[in-house]
Parts: sequence; C-alpha cells; structure tokens
Amino acid sequence: MFFAGCDVGAISAKVVILEGDAIRVQEVMAYKMLPRKAATEVMEKALANAGLSLDQLDGCVACGFARKVVPYANGDVPEIVSLSRGVRWAHPGVKTVIDAGGQKIRAFNIEENGKVIDSATNEKCASGTGRFIEVMAKALDLSLESASALFLEATDPVSITSQCGVFAESELITHVNDGRKRADIVAGLCRSVATRIASLVRSIRLEEEVAFVGGVARNTGVVDYTSKELGVRFVELGVDPQAVGALGAALVARERHHGT
Amino acid sequence: MLVAGCDVGSLTAEAVVMENGTLLGSEIIRVRPRAELSARDVMNKLLDRLGISFDDIVFCVSTGYGRETISFADDNLSEISCHGYGAHWLVPSIRTVIDVGGQDCKAIRVDEEGRLVDFVMNDKCAAGTGRSLELMSESLGVDVSELGPLALEAEEAVVITNQCSIFAEMEISQHLCEERKFADIAAGINESMAKRVKGLVGRVGLERDVGVTGGVSKNVGVVKKLESLLKMKFVEFPEDPQIIGALGAALFAAESAVKSKAR
Repeated sequence: MFFAGCDVGAISAKVVILEGDAIRVQEVMAYKMLPRKAATEVMEKALANAGLSLDQLDGCVACGFARKVVPYANGDVPEIVSLSRGVRWAHPGVKTVIDAGGQKIRAFNIEENGKVIDSATNEKCASGTGRFIEVMAKALDLSLESASALFLEATDPVSITSQCGVFAESELITHVNDGRKRADIVAGLCRSVATRIASLVRSIRLEEEVAFVGGVARNTGVVDYTSKELGVRFVELGVDPQAVGALGAALVARERHHGT
Repeated sequence: MLVAGCDVGSLTAEAVVMENGTLLGSEIIRVRPRAELSARDVMNKLLDRLGISFDDIVFCVSTGYGRETISFADDNLSEISCHGYGAHWLVPSIRTVIDVGGQDCKAIRVDEEGRLVDFVMNDKCAAGTGRSLELMSESLGVDVSELGPLALEAEEAVVITNQCSIFAEMEISQHLCEERKFADIAAGINESMAKRVKGLVGRVGLERDVGVTGGVSKNVGVVKKLESLLKMKFVEFPEDPQIIGALGAALFAAESAVKSKAR
C-alpha cells in the first residue's frame, strides 16, 4: 500500500511516499508565493519519481503552514504531530526535537510514549529562520548551497551582533566593505543563527537523544555551531531533515487508514 | 555672539549657526566616509555662505552618531537631548517629539523648558524604522517616497499582521499574488508602520503637543494614520525638521558660551 504526506511550508513544499514501512520517494521543492500550486507540483514530481499515479495512493495527509490548501489531501495534521511521528520512526530514542524551517523555529520534548510535551516557538521575529538565511545569502550574492559549503573554508568568523535581520544585513555589508572573507562572513552568520536557535531550545528541557530537522538543518555551519553551543551531538536520522514533517504526515495517513 | 551646532548622523550631516538667540542659517549634506570630514564639510559650507570665519564662533557643540570624533567642537551632547531642545525652541508648546529615522524610532519627552524628561527607542528590532518601510516598499516595487501619495488612492487597505520586516515582506508578496491593488497594499504598509510607531511611543506616555521628525515624517500616509491612531494633530515646524538636532546643539552651545564667559 502507498501512503503520502505533503508538508507545505512558507518557502518550500515536501512530499514523502511510503510503500509499506519503507520510504519509496522523498521530494523537496523550494517555491515562492503560491502554496496550492506548489503542493500540486511537488506531488507531481514525487509521483513521477516513484512511477506512481495519484489514484494509487491509499491515503494522503497534509501538514505545514499551508496544510489546509493541499487539494488532494484526505486530511491534515499539525506540524508538531507530524514531526514527532517522523522523527520517532527514523530514530525511536529521540526525546528532543529542534525544527528550524522557513518562518518557524520550534523545539519540543517527546515522552517515552510518543506524547509531545513542552514546546517553544519563535513568535514575532524571523531571526534564526530559513527565510532569514535566504535574505542574508542574497545580500552576499550566494546560493543557499554554496553558503553552506563556504562555511568549511572559514578561518576567522566575523561577529554579528544584531538579532534583527534588517540590522544583520547592514552588518554583513559593513563586513564586505571591510574586505572580510566571504567564508568568514558566512560562518559568522551561521553562528548567529545557531545562537538564536540554541536560546530557544534552552527554554525547554534538552534531553538526549536530540534531532535537528527542517530546512535549516541542511546547513552544515548552523548544525555545527548549534551542536557546539548546546554541547550535544544530533542523531543521524537517515532521511532528509527537511522531509521529516512530510514523512510524519505519511505515517499519520497510514494510521488513519488502518484505524489505529 | 556667534555659536554653532553640528549633527552628524548615519546618512546626513547638518550645521546651524546662531547669533544672540537668532537662527542665522543652516546647511545639510550627505555624509562623507568619516564623521570628522562630514562635520568639517557641512560647517565650512555654511560658514562660507554666511561669510563668517570659524574663529568668530565662540562655542560649538557636536551631536549625533559621530559626535565624539569631531575635533573642532568644544563639547558634545547626545542627539536625544539636542533633538528635544531644538524642537522645543521651534515650537515652545511641544512636550513630545516622535523621531523616525533610517535605523531608529524614538519618542522624546521634554519639560516646559525643553529639557529631556524621558525617552524610548527601538533596540533589537528594525520594525518601525525607515529601513523597514524601505524594505516593504521594495517588495511592492515602488520607491519609498511614492508610498504616501500612492496610499491616498486606496479603497481598502490590506492588513499586514507581521511586525517583523522579513515576515512582512513575505506577506506583501502574498498580497501581490492575490492581485490586491497596489494602493491598498501601500496603505496597508503605512498603517502597519504607524501601528508599530504608536506601540513604541506609547511606552513613554504622550504629552501634548506632539511633533514628528525624521525621514518618515515626509510620508503623509504614515503621518495621517499615526494622527488618527493617537487621536491628535501634530504640530508643524517652521524650519526643516532635519536641522533640529544641530539647532539643539547650537542652543546648548549658546548656554555654554554664556557660562564660560561668566567664569
């Protein structure tokens, strides 16, 4: 049987299709502005890669910021549920989840029985989010991938003191004008994002094992600094960290189908 | 007796010369790479125009971002004190000045003599500053100076719920996608800006009369909306509000000159 999960965030859409208890395909697509269209496109891509058609799916559940507008979904689920399901499936020992996406960063604890307790999210500020990183990468004229790779070449990371993206952007420009290496600027930026994420995580209990998911978790610099700042190593999930929400939604679709 | 004030900000520098309580003249320039250079340039330009030599200036006070590095000034004072003092001299009934510049948004309260009583300003967040307004107008694809006039044609202003400039940009893109009218989005941007300024200045307590200065005061949309949110009319300044900081510095210079003579 095939079950799908579709996670439509603020700046990317993700689909995971499960075949039995194995991932058949995971698809991640960046988009701008039209969530409904993105949901359709990312599913078309996933189905094409899996060699399936929509009517072969036995169920599909949506999650994410735009979960109510996914046209083909049979239902939806809050991100916190899909994320905890997805993480637990990939690594049953996880007790703390850090999720940094396009416009949300959140951290929560999962109890032994899978119940989510204590959670914290950013409310009003984009600092530390994927969109924040996008804006900074644009100011440096870098793609997200090359920004992530450039971090490895840093020797003397700059210090970025502003939390606000608007002020941080003008700080970046000052560093560029001062002739600082781009790798050092990128590393300084990763460190400032990590500091922001870590301070949110500290408002809940940091219990191991810890998983770091969401699009921002694909940035090695941010992951590295967050890990150092919190003094923990993150578990290897074996799935794309950005697709964990979609994976969880697919698992929920399967549960609902079987009535458990 | 001639005195001078000099205000070097992050974008512009201003100089003012006064003689026995009368404003002789003022000058505004774009800043140079260093505060000292900007200060010299703006002061020389003004003195040349007035036909005065710097040696005739009895006392000079500097203020603003680079105030401590200006070697020709006899003293320096915070721009908050100078701004309040200058505004009060122009409009003696003023008790609160709302100043919205490129990187900051502040409310300054003064007493009946123009002395600083209290102030608040943004610190960590750019919401409510000129730069935030500029970013939002960029997402709409119009120049920031067009926002005011454009908003006058609005029928139904959109609601921008996010305070964060980065999230607000995403929200504006969403409104563009939904093909909302440009004028309605422009009005929504002005409203969100006015709401944010209101939230910030509300913390200091607004005592009347109130005046608005800084670059954002040139946006009629924001000013009108802020007036209606605060349920009051703002006072009009008889001089370009941009020189108020330098004017306040010159007024303080006059007081210092009198004191140093008495000694």
